Amino acid sequence: MAGKAGATPTTYSPSPSTLKTKSLIFKANDVDWVRPDGRGFHQCRPAFFRTGAVNAASGSAYAEFGNTKVIVSVFGPRESKKAMMYSDVGRLNCNVSYTTFATPVRGQGSDHKEFSSMLHKSLEGAIILESFPKTTVDVFALVLESGGSDLPVVISCASLALADAGIMMYDLVASVSVSCLGRNLVIDPILEEESCQDGSLMITSMPSRYEVTQLTVTGEWSTPKINEGVQLCLDACSKLAKIMRSCLKEAATALEE
Amino acid sequence: MVGLSLGEKHFIQGGIAQDLRSDGRKRLTYRPIYVETGVIPQANGSARVRLGATDVIASVKAELGKPHPLQPDKGKVAIYVDCSPTAAPIFEGRGGEELSMELSVALQRCLLGGKSGAGYFHTEKSAGISLSSLVVVEGKICWDLYIDGLVVSSDGNLLDALGAAIKAALSNTGIPRVNVAAGASGDEEPEVDVSDEEFLQFDTSGVPVIITLTKVGRHYIVDATTEEESQMSSAVSISVNRQGHICGLTKRGGAGVDPSIILDMISVAKHVSEQLLNQLDSEIAAAEARENES
Repeated sequence: MAGKAGATPTTYSPSPSTLKTKSLIFKANDVDWVRPDGRGFHQCRPAFFRTGAVNAASGSAYAEFGNTKVIVSVFGPRESKKAMMYSDVGRLNCNVSYTTFATPVRGQGSDHKEFSSMLHKSLEGAIILESFPKTTVDVFALVLESGGSDLPVVISCASLALADAGIMMYDLVASVSVSCLGRNLVIDPILEEESCQDGSLMITSMPSRYEVTQLTVTGEWSTPKINEGVQLCLDACSKLAKIMRSCLKEAATALEE
Repeated sequence: MVGLSLGEKHFIQGGIAQDLRSDGRKRLTYRPIYVETGVIPQANGSARVRLGATDVIASVKAELGKPHPLQPDKGKVAIYVDCSPTAAPIFEGRGGEELSMELSVALQRCLLGGKSGAGYFHTEKSAGISLSSLVVVEGKICWDLYIDGLVVSSDGNLLDALGAAIKAALSNTGIPRVNVAAGASGDEEPEVDVSDEEFLQFDTSGVPVIITLTKVGRHYIVDATTEEESQMSSAVSISVNRQGHICGLTKRGGAGVDPSIILDMISVAKHVSEQLLNQLDSEIAAAEARENES
């Protein structure tokens, strides 16, 4: 499989057993198809995480997956607005925004209005909201550069920022998407692949608890294909969570020294 | 939102566990569906769907527009949902915005296979509505379909009701035949003549139905009422077409679910979808027969 040999050490990919897709044909053309960045179909981009990107925030994280670069800061818990009704569990307030220069065409990021609510839904199940009653935690995500799979990167990065802020969670939340191109499933698609996909599947999971907090599917899928996609994403999620965890450990040991 | 006493909550949960819900239904039984077509004369197609006390209206308007430069061979479809304050006082002002947004996104995902129009998801194979059939002159003129949903009264399961209403409205939709004047070539804007007598019907056999499985306790139910929805831990909406293929899936509610349960829900939804599709098709046919009579 193309790109496999050139894998960098930080690349994670699901277990080798799932790496055996033979059909390298894109869209029924009889042309061998290689992903634009030379990766294997089931190989994710190298993931880079760093916590503490913003000083003013209670917690923050920066994530870089290939060209996708996001920064997430977490503020709070702070007192909920007076107008809000009393609540014995904490509230989560999420916002995802794009810089005007994030997309190839300037200012196109405002197309993704639903990302904020998707981020909220992905995270709320993982946070122990009972641990901060009457208060609100703000999660602000900024996509610096959109390079494909933006939402999964934002979600993973946001959970890292929450952990950095010391918000109690059941588990880290990792998110991975696959695109369906012709008969192939490609994991962690880049912008070019997303723009010509036939369908997409995104999973947000808590790998240690083996629970899915969010799942979205678009396009037409048969059941075996969904099963394959779900397995692929779950495998990748657990590997991604390991990278995230090691990033947190690194930050903690650096602090001790 | 829903004020329920502890006893009522136990009653709902216990009933669901015993496969006998508070209105006498089983876990996988829908409320009777009532369909009425052609309710809005100004629109190209419209339908009203009632599921118990849930009452929604969908209208389809077609306008001539220009195709997206990156998609010269496809028309455009937009779905918007509006929650009327007649359904609940909290929908007044901007209160319904969040729910409207969530429903619109879910419907776009379930029926269009992703976001249509501008953005990066618009090239996806449209699972429900054939976008290529909306083109009049490639790269120049296409039909823009505006699908608007209105929630008149809400008693749970809005998404399924809206999905059914849109399917009914689309099958009720007549798109005027367009005659393109010959001779226009190159960069010239072709002249078109919109016929007001001849209408083309939509092929809606491929439009999926949406089935929302609401998880209460360890079991899941279809067509939950508002009371039942207030007890849910999570809900998965799955759109399934005639071929039994999944055309879209969204999850509501934050609680985590085991992946095997989701896969199980998908197979249950496929099973339920057959009955729902048949029921809906016969209701639509009956509604159209009624409309033609009057």
